Amino acid sequence: MNGGMITGGWNFVVAAYSLTAIVLTIYGVSVITRLRTEIARSSEEQ
Amino acid sequence: MLTAALRKELLLQWRSRAQFMAVFVFGAAALLLFSFAVGPVAEMLRQFSAGFLWLGLLLSSTLTLAESFHGEMENRAMEGLLLLPSNPRALYYGKAIANWLQLVLLGIALVPVMVVLYDAGTTRIGLLVLVIALGTAGLSAPGTLYAAMTAQVRSKQTLLPLLLFPLIVPALLASVKATSLIILGDPMHQVTSWIVLLAAFDAIYWSLCGLLFGRVVEE
Amino acid sequence: MHNDNHRFSRLPWVLLGLGIVFLAIGSYIGLFVAPPEALMGQVQRIMYVHVPTAWNALLAMTFAFFCAVVFLFKSDWKWDARMEAAIEVGVVLAFLLCCQGAIWAKPTWGVWWDWDPRLTTTAVLLFAFLGILALRKFVEDPVRRAIWSAVATIIAYVDVPIVYFSVRWWNSLHQLQSNPNTVSRQFWLPLRMNAFGILFLMTAFIMLRARVGSLRLKHELAPPPVPAGAIGETV
Repeated sequence: MNGGMITGGWNFVVAAYSLTAIVLTIYGVSVITRLRTEIARSSEEQ
Repeated sequence: MLTAALRKELLLQWRSRAQFMAVFVFGAAALLLFSFAVGPVAEMLRQFSAGFLWLGLLLSSTLTLAESFHGEMENRAMEGLLLLPSNPRALYYGKAIANWLQLVLLGIALVPVMVVLYDAGTTRIGLLVLVIALGTAGLSAPGTLYAAMTAQVRSKQTLLPLLLFPLIVPALLASVKATSLIILGDPMHQVTSWIVLLAAFDAIYWSLCGLLFGRVVEE
Repeated sequence: MHNDNHRFSRLPWVLLGLGIVFLAIGSYIGLFVAPPEALMGQVQRIMYVHVPTAWNALLAMTFAFFCAVVFLFKSDWKWDARMEAAIEVGVVLAFLLCCQGAIWAKPTWGVWWDWDPRLTTTAVLLFAFLGILALRKFVEDPVRRAIWSAVATIIAYVDVPIVYFSVRWWNSLHQLQSNPNTVSRQFWLPLRMNAFGILFLMTAFIMLRARVGSLRLKHELAPPPVPAGAIGETV
């Protein structure tokens, strides 16, 4: 064995980082989209 | 004020004791179903008996708690109650105590079912009753508050458990652990610690929910 | 209503940009510059996003609690919008945290979930706050919705330390070793950069989401517009 060291973890590392990036991006986009919708709606009503 | 509220609640519950029977049957049925999930292996069933008892009790409690504000919703009696000089705190504690008593009774009634189905008997009955009392108190305090909220909302059957279940995780853990130690043996005397945790949980939530109940039912 | 969360109108965008930059640099350092750890190898690099996410998730929930308390005292709508925003962002971060934790646990412990007290508490917190978001969806009256979700938030947040201690205790009877989630000092740079990166992003998200909430409230609370035709005319 490798003296207790975990090998070949790159897949998991990549998975974790990409998941983080993807989730944050999707959420960010959804907030900005909702904000645009609300701004458009409120300016329409005025 | 509190005694009047409590007396009214207990009277209402006595009048709807058929409902209690129905919930008991539901709880017992749940215990039966759990054994089908595990299989007829006596030793395993006995290992998990505490967990099954408390899960059954938890599921049954959603029925009991939801019912507890049914009367108020039917006749819009909630507003009428609040116009009376008695304060919402009395209303809350009256209902919470009544719910608690019902759940304790339910818990005690389910013990023989557990003993029979899972071969999970114990001689330390007093301690078991204490754990049931403290555990159900932990369910009743936040449960009554959430029942008041969700009674007035559509989709109330889903919302009440959805809100309650994550919250009572510590009470569930402690109750199951304590009950398990009582049934399976407690060589290192850990039961007391879990009971203390339960008591702390109860103390915190019986005061906090009482404090906040006024805001929940104000107009 | 004045200051319906529009006050520092450019700030969220600045924070968004800063956050992306910090997170990108921090991640780059964590992935390619920092050396692999002695025992955990490359898998340890997950900590550089996991730990910052954890700090910020807790921060978001704490801010939600703060907003809930302030709202109950002041009954000012902007705090309701902020609380809703903080809860939503907190839920996203908590969900992310659980996923990261599972991805870290699999190569380390061989299972996707190892009942680590911190992660388990996060999972419970996630469900609790999802429930509060569901509550908000189902209550139509804005006043009730605001008060009830504030009450529920306070109750859920008070539970967090209790859940943590009870799970830790419950788990300690089985697991003798706790997770080595700590990061040694030589690795602090990517950790701090990512922590600030996610902090900036989170703050931006909360500010923008609070604006959405405020605009929706304005729409909900506004008196219904008088129709163009007079009463009695067919449209």
